[in-house]
Amino acid sequence: MAELLVKDAEKWFRREDGSPFKVIDQLSFEARAGCVTVLIGPSGCGKSTLLNSIVGLEKLDRGELLFVSDGKTRERPLIGYVFQSPRLLPWKTIGANIALALKGAGVARSAWGLQIERYLKLVGLEEYVNQYPLYLSGGQRQRVGLARALAVESDIVLMDEPFASVDELTARQLRETTRGLCEQLHRTVLFVTHNLAEAAYMSDFVVTLTRRPASLDEYVSNPLPTPRRWGPEIYSFAAQLETKVTLKEEADL
Amino acid sequence: MAYEERNALMAADRTGVAGAQTVPPFGRSIGRDLSARVLPPLLAVASVILLWWALYLIYPRLLPSPLSTVREAIRLVSDGTFFFHMYQSLRRVFVGAVIAMFFSVGIGIYMGTVAMGERFFQPLIVLGLTIPGLMWALIAVMLFGINEFSPYFAVTVTIFPMLVINIWAGVKSLDKELMDMSHVFHFTKWMKISQVILPQLVPNIFAATRYGLGLAWKVVVVVEMFGTSNGVGYQVMKSYQVFNMEGVIAWTLTFVLAMIVIEYGLINFAEQRLTAWRPKIDVWRR
Repeated sequence: MAELLVKDAEKWFRREDGSPFKVIDQLSFEARAGCVTVLIGPSGCGKSTLLNSIVGLEKLDRGELLFVSDGKTRERPLIGYVFQSPRLLPWKTIGANIALALKGAGVARSAWGLQIERYLKLVGLEEYVNQYPLYLSGGQRQRVGLARALAVESDIVLMDEPFASVDELTARQLRETTRGLCEQLHRTVLFVTHNLAEAAYMSDFVVTLTRRPASLDEYVSNPLPTPRRWGPEIYSFAAQLETKVTLKEEADL
Repeated sequence: MAYEERNALMAADRTGVAGAQTVPPFGRSIGRDLSARVLPPLLAVASVILLWWALYLIYPRLLPSPLSTVREAIRLVSDGTFFFHMYQSLRRVFVGAVIAMFFSVGIGIYMGTVAMGERFFQPLIVLGLTIPGLMWALIAVMLFGINEFSPYFAVTVTIFPMLVINIWAGVKSLDKELMDMSHVFHFTKWMKISQVILPQLVPNIFAATRYGLGLAWKVVVVVEMFGTSNGVGYQVMKSYQVFNMEGVIAWTLTFVLAMIVIEYGLINFAEQRLTAWRPKIDVWRR
């Protein structure tokens, strides 16, 4: 079990003309071990920048990211990542795509077969193991991306608006699968979205961010019971979140 | 028409439609498909032969007859001369192409990823592209004399810029999202090159190979004309010196046929194998 601590994170970018502007400002929060922490905020507020910093694609200008597992802090741990688009290698079969992630994770070759089978079964795609990604539907590809992120068995999994590019019905099924797997596997998940109902359904904790530069707005514990069911209480919690996000936004204006 | 009657007819209509849908629409037009594919190229070849024949009938001293040329070609193939010299030429093309491919993939990737590399090599590549293969053939023979090194060198140097340009263009359009993905999942450097970068370059490498081979055949034939003592180019030159027109055309034709087999057969086959992951796209489908 691991948790992720974001401490006083600060990130600057440069405009075209070279003038600097701040994207993330003094942001601190934690993603608790074994829980789903959902990050919501206005679009363009720096959520993806934060995720990129966590996986090392970008560097923070100030502050730190701490990965604590079993009481020890680690440098650059392995992190499972579900992207907005599936980002599968189209020239590799579904199985081989996951196998490559396992190889990167340092999993012994002898364990690949069973692990691939197990996680494809969890997302309901076990019969597609030898299929190429372009022969699958968008929702199925996203499931493969989910299986890959979980199969590396990292302590921390990031999900960056993973259902934003599929239609609503597919997204609903994917949410159900994903939430179910989070409850079952107890990974530490940091989930970024701008969909409030999705936030209400997926989360154990919700972190709301301010407009750019992003800093912590509120840290809300999700009162809804687990296992989660899609019902009216989801929407009432979403409405509650909405007052927090939008009202704050208007106050800024 | 009575109501029941019409109803019955409509029902029959529906079952008829449904019945048609349960039979998969495969295999009906194989014959038409084949003729649509095979007929046009056959017609093209036939029209060239007809034109040749007509010219021969009008100016018999200018051109050899197609028949005697084909007879000469058959003699070359059946007594094995063709295969010996063809092998020599092919080997030269192949060795030169492999050397050029090796360096161009390296330098192409370097140019596409490192700005300084791009600035350094770009003028050299442009320069290289403008130098005709014939010049390289001459320079190679003057530098290295009549030995195997000359054709290798000429082929390598001639096709190298063409290959680099293609691979460089491919590297510049690599998918950043996939590169980020490979970083996130801790791919090693070798995994990134072999599983993420090279597969994206496959179309560029095939385009480069086609262009490159097209150039390489021409260069090799020229080098062989004055720089070697065997090979197709040498044979063409020999026929030319005794003014054996049938020989010149027979050698040219057999050589071209062999090249077509290699380009359409081998390269297309390899490309189809390597891009089997891509669903077929029919652009002109209606």
